[in-house]
Amino acid sequence: MATKKKRTPHVNNDSWVVIAADSAIHIQKHDSDPAFVRLRNPATDVASLYMLSSGDAQLFEVKAFEEDFHSWFVGQTVQRDGRLLFLTPMDPLYLILPYLIKSGREGKFQPVDQVVMDEEFPACSRLLSCTRSLASLHHIAEEKEVGSLKFHRYSEEKTMNWLKKKVERTVTALKARSISVGEGVKSTTYVRMKSESDYCEEDYLRYAHGLISEYLSEDLSKALLNHLQLPELTSPKETEPPSKKRKLSDKPVEAGDDYTKFNSADFARKPPKKMTAAQKSLAKVDKTGMKTMSSFFSPKVKAEK
Amino acid sequence: MCDVILEAPNRPQTENNTKFIPAVMDLSPFETDNSVSCRLASQIPEVCRTEDCCLGIDEAGRGPVLGPMVYGICFCPVSKKEELKESKVADSKTLTEAERENLFQKLDEAKSYIGWALQILSPNTISTSMLQRTKYNLNALSHDTAIGLVQYALDSGVQLTEVFVDTVGPAEKYEEKLSKLFPGIKVTVRPKADSLFPIVSAASICAKVARDRVVKGWNFAEDLGEVDTDYGSGYPNDPKTKAWLLKYLDPVFGYPQFVRFSWSTAQTLMESKGVTVHWDDDEEVGEKAAQRQNNRSMLAYFSASAGGNNQNPTHQTHRFFTERRLKSLDTL
Repeated sequence: MATKKKRTPHVNNDSWVVIAADSAIHIQKHDSDPAFVRLRNPATDVASLYMLSSGDAQLFEVKAFEEDFHSWFVGQTVQRDGRLLFLTPMDPLYLILPYLIKSGREGKFQPVDQVVMDEEFPACSRLLSCTRSLASLHHIAEEKEVGSLKFHRYSEEKTMNWLKKKVERTVTALKARSISVGEGVKSTTYVRMKSESDYCEEDYLRYAHGLISEYLSEDLSKALLNHLQLPELTSPKETEPPSKKRKLSDKPVEAGDDYTKFNSADFARKPPKKMTAAQKSLAKVDKTGMKTMSSFFSPKVKAEK
Repeated sequence: MCDVILEAPNRPQTENNTKFIPAVMDLSPFETDNSVSCRLASQIPEVCRTEDCCLGIDEAGRGPVLGPMVYGICFCPVSKKEELKESKVADSKTLTEAERENLFQKLDEAKSYIGWALQILSPNTISTSMLQRTKYNLNALSHDTAIGLVQYALDSGVQLTEVFVDTVGPAEKYEEKLSKLFPGIKVTVRPKADSLFPIVSAASICAKVARDRVVKGWNFAEDLGEVDTDYGSGYPNDPKTKAWLLKYLDPVFGYPQFVRFSWSTAQTLMESKGVTVHWDDDEEVGEKAAQRQNNRSMLAYFSASAGGNNQNPTHQTHRFFTERRLKSLDTL
């Protein structure tokens, strides 16, 4: 059947299918609605979408499940994109961290509300309103109190220890969820026969480090790898075996090469068909009375009686 | 055009959906759920269990884009062949509807020695079979249905010695296939068997009568309100049928289950007037696939310049997310 289908470009929808915790969409009295905000993604340094719950109390990251050939039936309507959005709670420190690092280069203690500022993403200052933000700043910064004012300065040492804890907790979560962390496994639907104990601790650590690195700059990710005392993998792709494709056929399987020729007696005697100039000149040398090389290595021939 | 096609096909079943009907054809088992395949059968005449019998197979409604395809078998003792000839059953296509009903009545009156059975393949069964991931074509469906009916007769104790079939596809291959499946039975596959052998004519009348009745009284599962039943013959070249198909085309869902989606008539109309639907097994080779990929990257390029969506190219998303098809967004 002829398929004359033309793909029309995706049109932006004004509705989405979202999975979110109640706390994400719960509206507190007299407070603002939960809102999607664009903030600087610490890993990519460009805009990503996040959500701040009512009153900016909690930060959520937005992840979209997107695969070809999916659509939604929503009530009596059809939604073209089969996209499923997930709103999941996120530690605001990850987004605050890059700003602290940047100001930390000056080596001065500063009030955080002067540090977490971004002309491109003005909404970033709202991160400080999150319930956890100010209370957990001590994980990544040194604090000084002068009167009623608090000042902070980025501390790499503290940050590394904090991130290490994050990795360790991620490892616990990975084990609890039976997530396959082995190098070779690519499919999430693939059911492994091996038990969890078959993964070594390093597999878990690397996997968890990779996950946490989704929320860190490249430099920080490398520093964390050092801190975890994991050697950098040079090129993981080389460890993969080359892909071999074998054509399927009903014919019986045959060896690709014929090795039986090595068994035949005349194989050894046949001179190689093509010789280099050097080999040719060597072949012309008078070898009478000379021992062959191999005779020196073979067991001694008994002297003739 | 969506969930309907995703359903598993309803292959002909041998055990279920059998209903013994004393007098006239009772179509209620099919009409209560006309989305599946359904078997109707007469009572087996006692004489057929003891005497050598012949059996004819024919179908009705192979070509139409609307309604079910009905397979019929008719059987009687070989000794009664002459009587059947005298009842002047003939190829159902040469008869008017009234004549067919009349002849079916006659067959019913001769139920002491003539038995029949029908397999009604709903248009939905035909659509889902032909459009499923591993295609099950109409010929294979026809063959399997015919085989199922012969097996039904054997399972019911009919002493079959001869089987006559109107051909589907090449006659010789079909004959060989059936002979192998039913050793000990003489199988004859002929084009125009329905005009050559009275027992095939009888089967064709049963099938045609059933199809006519089902199509006339079609119960639409869909909520269409007052349905215009003036759909003509149901054949693709009938202008009335075409007009009806245009009228009942839903841009999203296509057609009611009454229509065979796998017919090119229906497909062409859906492609031109309906919303485009893509399946992941759509044939998209070489140029087309490349074109699509180009389209996508072009779009990504445009939205990037518009919304500042230039994702850091050096950043590689962790496989936890890529394996789960999860990604960050920068705009909704």
